[in-house]
Amino acid sequence: MLVTGIKSKPVYAPLRADTGGRYHLMLGKGIGNVALMRVLRELQSAAPQALGRTRVLLIPEQTPATTAALPVPPADPPVSDARPENFAALGLEALREFSDVPSLLREFRSLLDGALMGTRLYVAGPESFIGLAMKIALEFDLNKDEIRAEELGTSARRVYCIHCRATTEDVRTNIVRCVDCGSWLLVRDHYSRRLAAYMGVMVDAEAPGELPQIKEVFV
Amino acid sequence: MSEAQTLEVEVTAIEQVTPLIKHFKLRPVAGESMPAFSGGSHIVVVMRTPTRVYRNPYSLLSPPHRLESYEIGVRRMDESRGGSHFMHDRVRVGTRLEIAHPVNLFALDKIARKHVLIAGGIGITPFMAHLEDLHEGRVPYELHYSVRGREHAAFLPRILQRTGERVRMYYDSEGQSIDFDGLLSHQPLGTHVYVCGPAGMIDRVAATAREWGWPDSHIHWEQFSAPPVGDAFEVFLARSKMTVHVAPDQSLLESIEAQGVEVPYLCRGGVCGFCQTRVLEVDGELIHNDHFLSDAEKAKRNTIMPCVSRARCKSLVLDL
Repeated sequence: MLVTGIKSKPVYAPLRADTGGRYHLMLGKGIGNVALMRVLRELQSAAPQALGRTRVLLIPEQTPATTAALPVPPADPPVSDARPENFAALGLEALREFSDVPSLLREFRSLLDGALMGTRLYVAGPESFIGLAMKIALEFDLNKDEIRAEELGTSARRVYCIHCRATTEDVRTNIVRCVDCGSWLLVRDHYSRRLAAYMGVMVDAEAPGELPQIKEVFV
Repeated sequence: MSEAQTLEVEVTAIEQVTPLIKHFKLRPVAGESMPAFSGGSHIVVVMRTPTRVYRNPYSLLSPPHRLESYEIGVRRMDESRGGSHFMHDRVRVGTRLEIAHPVNLFALDKIARKHVLIAGGIGITPFMAHLEDLHEGRVPYELHYSVRGREHAAFLPRILQRTGERVRMYYDSEGQSIDFDGLLSHQPLGTHVYVCGPAGMIDRVAATAREWGWPDSHIHWEQFSAPPVGDAFEVFLARSKMTVHVAPDQSLLESIEAQGVEVPYLCRGGVCGFCQTRVLEVDGELIHNDHFLSDAEKAKRNTIMPCVSRARCKSLVLDL
């Protein structure tokens, strides 16, 4: 039903440091920060002076306690190198933490405004986060030689309603109700880099109300 | 490109614009206008002399929106194999020439946020057409034009008219040279650099840009190398079943064409890769002079660009 095999669906690869770049700009969200730390360690051993020309914007991993009313037993701390204090210890040109994606992207945009040729962009996190960052990077004519991204975290999708042009966020099911016009949309693999969203097409146009089974497919 | 696709043109004006460069205007012999082209395109001019045929690429410097004639600039080469001397000494107003349709191997990036153009000497010609497009667009650009001395600054009045403040001149004779580090270290994201000029200049621009972290996709250059001279050698064309002699001052491509065998080509300068030909056998050394094949491909010894490359060999067999 998802119409798989569509070539526009982005494919990402594990991040590697690009020592050919002069400046490095890294964006991480949640578990994606682990990948950034891995790249920073790589950079640290290959070209230590590059860390002083590296700026990192992070959204730390959310603790489940923010949504739950239940008392949450302190979980075992993750065996992760990607703690903010470890980033801070690297001697980066800049390190900023954010609590939400829009504010991180605002800062990202203003950094790109002043950035120079020779900058490499690294993005690590959920697919929707990568897509939104890429959308902005495209406006600055950054191309595939200058951007690398690693997908880590939820594969929940941003879905663009081709009927009313609204975007529904955080979609985990094969069929979703458009947040704006209420149409039942089939979530396709057809991806728009310009919109940073997958196309959603009305699924019951021929027979209103007749829906295929709704399943959680993007976890 | 086959001969059937050439156009006949007539030279309508010739102007000596610098001690070394002549400016030619060409109009179609049949019809009202020349084929449309985009900035950065070149044509190949076919020059027939009693003894041999030259085919040299020249950038179109006329405005792309004006098709009543084409304009080219030809620098008289010191060690010409004959092509540029033919254009300078034998061509008069009224001479008819054949040209191949325009091909663009040096277009501006359409989504760039800024263009930095660097020209050395006759390398200004492709930028002349670019300036016409840039003049009307909104994308910022700067032109850095380096020449030997003031008398060598071809087309400067026209450039100033189009670019105003955005051109910066560098005169070797006055000790001025382009500060490549200064130029390439502080360009905003989304800048593309384009260079056309002597090989040394192209190499320096590319090397400096890479040093500052520019990816290759933002570095553009064009240089039509004239086919270097070398030792004479013989080549056997396996499919045509004939042996061709390549004279020292003749390119492999020209020698093959002289025997009536057509090889597809576009730039004739070792840039585009169109004339790439399979080497079936070689007993000796291939001398690769092109900018198209990678070092790894060259090392395989199974392919050659006959427009600029040669061989020093006992025998060479091509798949032609």
